Amino acid sequence: MDKVFEKNTFGKRLTSMLHVDFRRMITTPLIYIILGICLVAPVLIFVMTTMMDGMETVNPETNEVEITESKFDNFWQIIGTVSDPSKIPSSDDSSDTSSDTTDTSTDIDKEGKQNPMGDMDITSMVNINMLYFAVAIYVCLFVGADFRSGYSKNLFTVRSSKVDYVISKILVGMVAGVLMLIAFFIGSVIGGAIMQIPFDPIEIGASAYSVAFCLLSKVCLVGVFVPIYVLASVITKQRVWLAIILSVGIGMLLFTMIPMITPLDSSFINPVLCLVGSLLFSVGLGAVSNIVLKNTSLV
Amino acid sequence: MNAIEIRNLTKNFGPKQALSGLDMTVPQGAIYGFIGENGSGKSTTEKIICGLIHPSSGSVKLFGKDYTDIDVRANMGVLIEAPGCFPNYSVWNNMMLQAANLRIKDAEREVVKALKTVRMEGAASNKYKNCSLGMKQRVGIAMALLGNPTLLVLDEPINGLDADGMRIIREVLVDITKNYGSTVVVSSHVLAELEKVATHYGIIKGGKMICEMTASELDSSCRTYSALKSNDMPLTKSVLLKKYSRIEEDESGYIRVYDSVPTEEIVVYLYENGITINEIKTDKISLEEYYIDLMKGGKANG
Repeated sequence: MDKVFEKNTFGKRLTSMLHVDFRRMITTPLIYIILGICLVAPVLIFVMTTMMDGMETVNPETNEVEITESKFDNFWQIIGTVSDPSKIPSSDDSSDTSSDTTDTSTDIDKEGKQNPMGDMDITSMVNINMLYFAVAIYVCLFVGADFRSGYSKNLFTVRSSKVDYVISKILVGMVAGVLMLIAFFIGSVIGGAIMQIPFDPIEIGASAYSVAFCLLSKVCLVGVFVPIYVLASVITKQRVWLAIILSVGIGMLLFTMIPMITPLDSSFINPVLCLVGSLLFSVGLGAVSNIVLKNTSLV
Repeated sequence: MNAIEIRNLTKNFGPKQALSGLDMTVPQGAIYGFIGENGSGKSTTEKIICGLIHPSSGSVKLFGKDYTDIDVRANMGVLIEAPGCFPNYSVWNNMMLQAANLRIKDAEREVVKALKTVRMEGAASNKYKNCSLGMKQRVGIAMALLGNPTLLVLDEPINGLDADGMRIIREVLVDITKNYGSTVVVSSHVLAELEKVATHYGIIKGGKMICEMTASELDSSCRTYSALKSNDMPLTKSVLLKKYSRIEEDESGYIRVYDSVPTEEIVVYLYENGITINEIKTDKISLEEYYIDLMKGGKANG
């Protein structure tokens, strides 16, 4: 007699996969450790850069005294930079600080000279954009754990279709990324308040709306990066270290793009573009991840 | 309809051929003892059945449908090699994750039931990585049993288990096939244990199925022998060798006569030659002996 099996619809499969992944996410210390780091990091960044600011060092080659300028002059600099530095209102002391707000798309410093270090000033490097690397580490560890522990055997034995697995991993990565951004933002507010850094975005050529759009863009941009990390993880499987190297490597290639797409003076178009990019990357790379899983050994 | 039907299955790992035209038939409700040497292709076959690796060619049907069928595969339980558990999770959390994976309603009750079945309810809060080998194996079996799967694939499930653990597994396998109509494929090197539960056997060698039979077919195929002990064993052996061709001494000190002759005839023959028999019995060779004989290329059946 023919055995009758219950119809295992896509909705049921996705729900159960999301249940597994989100249960794992909230019951694993890793997410809390990373969120803790995201919370503390901006506080430390504000404190350290303020302490370092104004430090005098002697260049041994020229014997000239060099003054380190690393201070954040405005709270929002840790979130991003404006796309057009000319928007920054001039003030008496602006010549001392304008280099900190230099747009990443330009390499001109406060004296109008070409900056040989490009965008390597500390305020444009040490900011919320670093989180996209933290997301890479989290996603690679999270997906890799399935294969390293052998739990993938339990998952894929009952999941002939791999689509639900890929979607679930992308969603978990996105949620983790957004939580990290929120934790970093909260930490930044705390750090900014402790170091009494000005919060007025107008000082650096942004507005409350543009800052909100900037933050929203960064949230949407998580969806561009996570599918890349998921793909790297399903390709490398148990070799988590390789997935991290691959993900961070690709992330670095895209890193310079982030300030351009999500400037502090964003308009509504920026989050829309990021959202479209997220959808395209999620669908495209998700499909590639699915193909990889379907055509490779899962143990 | 058979639970598993494999035809002409091949699997190549680079230049190495792990399976070469394997055929396998597992009837519904069977406990299928899958036997073979290390590297003969048992685990590869089981992984293909579970969709964890892809065959190079051939067909694999589960309950009449392709092995990739989403609905059929959702009703499988598996324990292949080591149990798939997160080491830093407690036994309970690992079980609850699997319950979520299988969409089990009333997950807590089912998890408790499964843990009780393998006598692990007292260790539910232990971290999986702190469990002993035997405990880990029990957790793996409990996970495989969750949701009463229609098809259960167990690879060396009694590895690391104590006598009580082995007995539990035997009981569970019989229970799940009788009460839930499940089909079980179980590979093991502990053939004495397998012999106690298996209803069907498949013997694989070099990636090919060399023999498939039911337990009763095996029983009738296994040759019978007369085993005896006497006061003078060397003399007895030499006297027996004069008349019978298939004489062997086993590890427990008995002389076995495999020739198809009545025991009474042997007794009379030895008596006529002045040998007093202390002990004599008739028995059948075990699955293990049958298997070893078959692997050696000998004639297992008398």
